[in-house]
Amino acid sequence: MPRFALGLALGLALMVWLAGLRGAKLGDQLSAFSTVFLGIFIEAAPFLLLGTLASGLVEVFASPDLLRHRIPSGALGGALAGTALGFLFPVCECGTVPLARRLFRKGLPVSAGVAFLLAAPVVNPIVLASTAAAFGFGSLLVWRFALTVVIASVTGLIFSVETRPQRLLRPSALPTLQGGSQALATAWPRRTWAQDLNRALLVAGDEFFEMGRYLVLGSGLAAAMQTFIPQSRLLALGSGPLLSVLVMLGLAVLLSVCSTVDSFVALAFLGTFSPGSVLAFLVYGPMVDLKSILMFRQVFKRRGLLYLVLIPLVLTIAVTVTMNLLPTP
Amino acid sequence: MSGSRLHRSFQALILALLGLFLLNKLWNGTVLWYINSRFLPLTVIGAFGLLWLAQVRLANLQSTGEAEPARHASSPSTWGLLVLAFPILLGLLIPPAPLGASAVANRGFAAVAPARAGGSPAQLELLPTDRTVLDWVRAVNYGADPAAYAGEPADVIGFVYHDPRLTAGEFLLARFTLTCCVADAAAIGMIVRWPAAAELATNGWVRVQGPVQLGELEGRRMPVIEAQSVEAVPPPDQPYIYN
Repeated sequence: MPRFALGLALGLALMVWLAGLRGAKLGDQLSAFSTVFLGIFIEAAPFLLLGTLASGLVEVFASPDLLRHRIPSGALGGALAGTALGFLFPVCECGTVPLARRLFRKGLPVSAGVAFLLAAPVVNPIVLASTAAAFGFGSLLVWRFALTVVIASVTGLIFSVETRPQRLLRPSALPTLQGGSQALATAWPRRTWAQDLNRALLVAGDEFFEMGRYLVLGSGLAAAMQTFIPQSRLLALGSGPLLSVLVMLGLAVLLSVCSTVDSFVALAFLGTFSPGSVLAFLVYGPMVDLKSILMFRQVFKRRGLLYLVLIPLVLTIAVTVTMNLLPTP
Repeated sequence: MSGSRLHRSFQALILALLGLFLLNKLWNGTVLWYINSRFLPLTVIGAFGLLWLAQVRLANLQSTGEAEPARHASSPSTWGLLVLAFPILLGLLIPPAPLGASAVANRGFAAVAPARAGGSPAQLELLPTDRTVLDWVRAVNYGADPAAYAGEPADVIGFVYHDPRLTAGEFLLARFTLTCCVADAAAIGMIVRWPAAAELATNGWVRVQGPVQLGELEGRRMPVIEAQSVEAVPPPDQPYIYN
């Protein structure tokens, strides 16, 4: 896909231009960009690898029947089960996307898969621990988890209204019976355990390249944001109940900090921003950010992607702005 | 072309190079310029995992047909694989360096970032001369009685940042704190009063000794060192302070 190489080249050229505009030392800026980019990439690559390995193992060893029996088929049950799946796979969004796509192919209901995608980055023991370390066992921690579960389930429920998954999902994320791409489903006679493992690793490798492109692109965008746009300028944009929430949401999407550590980043804003706005950062950031949007595109069609990004956004804004408007207890 | 040998070989090559790239960063210690040391085990696993995937690809070069998981339309073309080589390319083209003064200018100083809310920081029980820049910043911001620290001797290292808000004869002794990777790095610092401040090169590492006073920078409480000595030191192996 030469589009990609072209995009990267253009991006680099743009950065050089921006750096020149600001009159900063180009070398310093590029060096900072490279450091932040490699930081995100080196940090995330093992998680992506684990996610693709899990996906490869699911592909080879999990039969669709298994899922059908374990996941409730009702909309509400499916959404809740998807949320609960997060506890089983404590990986951040780089790992959940390949896994979710594989589960969709195995017949996981869209509602459950969407709830899983949105909840898993937060609803897991690691993020629970890091949030507690940053904020203590207080109301912010409870709010973060409760609101994430509610938004993930509600979004899953809304997705279940569309009964034809092929209108939301890309063919590569659909089970063959529902019009999924045939190519992926070529029958593979089960043989020895070693051969199965071999195949799982081949699948994982392919997926590493497919999803990895978006990790590279997303890390690049986030690193460029961090290097070339002064944070003070973003922060200066907003105070007020609505604007402060929007600024924090923008920061969450642009900075693309991993959900396991975003609590510590959020802590820095607690002095400047209201708890409601910080909560918006903590709830929406793990669900949607630059790199996850790019990776979601591999699973969802444009319409599905739009819903996936907008529904949680609207819900987050509604709840946190209300919090900001209410008098603090 | 879905499973062409060229495509497979190319994948194996890039996977292996990525694995070696990580191993190289681990080997020469520069991986600490990018991520918190507690993630090192994960990076090791990642590096060997990538090499494993590369090996599996090479081992399957000869096999055809059914051994091959078929690829679908959204899979990258052989050229598209190159995107994954971008991190290696960037690592080779741009000389690696830890975050420094230019990043401070962009990020600004974190108001309270390095603190853990609640609980008293255990670091305050350290000997004054054992405290890092982070310990001092925490002490004056979260200590029960910040004034009690006034007059205690500091012995800290950091890099020089000439903040435009400071007056002549002052500079900021800065450090970055890190929780996960450099994407969440936050700059912190102490004001150092030193007559020859202007002669110090930005981004150079120095060791500063002298008594600490309480100061302010734009309404924020900051520790200030009345420096008795400022000497250049080599950059530490771990440029960041882990949170």
